[in-house]
Amino acid sequence: MFSFQTIIDNLPVLAASARYTLLISGAGCFLGLIFGALICVAAVSRASAARAFAGVYVSFFRGVPLLIQLLLAFYLLPLVGVNVPALAAAIFTVGLCAAAYISEILRGALNAIPRGQAEAAMAVGLAPRDIWTRILLPQALKISMPALVNELILLVKASSLVTVVGIVEITRMSQAIASATYRPLEIYLTAAFLYLAINLVIAALGRNLERRLAW
Amino acid sequence: MTLAPSLTGTVNPASARLENVCKFYGEFQALKDISLVIPPGKVTCLIGPSGSGKSTLLRCINFLEEYDRGGIWIDDRLIGYETVGGRRMGGRALREMRRDIGMVFQQFNLWPHMTALQNVAEGLERVKGIPRARAHEIASEALAKVGLGDKTGNHPSRLSGGQQQRVAIARAVAMQPRIMLFDEPTSALDPELVGEVLGVMKQLAAEGMTMVVVTHEMGFAAHVADRVVFMERGELVAQGSPAEIFQNPGDRRLAAFLQGYLERNSLEL
Repeated sequence: MFSFQTIIDNLPVLAASARYTLLISGAGCFLGLIFGALICVAAVSRASAARAFAGVYVSFFRGVPLLIQLLLAFYLLPLVGVNVPALAAAIFTVGLCAAAYISEILRGALNAIPRGQAEAAMAVGLAPRDIWTRILLPQALKISMPALVNELILLVKASSLVTVVGIVEITRMSQAIASATYRPLEIYLTAAFLYLAINLVIAALGRNLERRLAW
Repeated sequence: MTLAPSLTGTVNPASARLENVCKFYGEFQALKDISLVIPPGKVTCLIGPSGSGKSTLLRCINFLEEYDRGGIWIDDRLIGYETVGGRRMGGRALREMRRDIGMVFQQFNLWPHMTALQNVAEGLERVKGIPRARAHEIASEALAKVGLGDKTGNHPSRLSGGQQQRVAIARAVAMQPRIMLFDEPTSALDPELVGEVLGVMKQLAAEGMTMVVVTHEMGFAAHVADRVVFMERGELVAQGSPAEIFQNPGDRRLAAFLQGYLERNSLEL
């Protein structure tokens, strides 16, 4: 017999665990944007060393499963004397991984910006740093907004992987409650609903932002 | 369109000198030993068929295009290289020289995420270090002077082509350049919008700005230019006053080019 009562009873606890899901995907995406922008700038730089670094970075973080990256960070960092809480390590790793994808998203968007945009900035005498932060990256961000929202949604779902380093977010919490209540169907349906709700809100916010960025 | 008396305030117009400028794209030689003097305070028009190298030459003057041989001096300072045939000039030194050189592009190249006012103010703030409030004042005056005082808050997408190009001119002029480069400034415009842009350019010319204009507007070249330079296939073929070039084209290739232009334009009627 399907039990709505189980859902009602456990919803508050599950919803509370969503704060880790949100924190890891949100902060991870934020870090990913910053690192991703830097990697993107390196990838299109004149300096061959910068381009090589960007290439290796993207290959590694895109080519190795996030699960393995999390485990590596968890076991490797203490070995080299870095002792950070699991949560911080998880956010950082998710951010580094997201940066690889985001840098490629931004690089694609950069290619869509007419060459004349940077030329006009150079002709006015803007320094490279201003050309990036004032002219190119704002336009690249706007162009890539749909892809970036996509990336954030992927991160919300990928954040369930951080359970391997002991963080109890939605997925881990639902497993725990399911085995304690013997009501897996109701609990996992609730978890599915929570993820769906989060991602619907992100998608709506993204569309809103896109509209406001229309110029 | 009414314009305020002065677009530029007081500037001290620069001259430019090109000596044996060569430019290669791989095997293809886009510029062949171009030597040319751009006199201060005068309008020099570059004309010639597409692919003749006139835009490339113009873009070499502010080093947006890197020339491979020869030298280009703005007043007496070499641009792009430390010495003729020497090392590339540092970024800071190049930017400093570019502050004196305004440029207007065929496709306007306004920054679409900024309003007209922000487009003009950006260089004032970031390059000249003028505080925002003052930069916005100057920008707003510059826009008023090109007849766009009521469009300061518009993004480029809310402006006609002619208005966009006038914003682009205001953006360049507000930096108080000493020489202005125009790369086919009216070629992307609907015919009925060409006049408003040429009008602003004529006013700049009348104020004694040094101007180098790549153009297909033979009327502008004939009536506003002090010097006309004809290029073909990367070579400087002929130069002279408008009268010399248009009324008495001695060179066979120049005569053929002008003949072709006249035929096309009478056919359009």
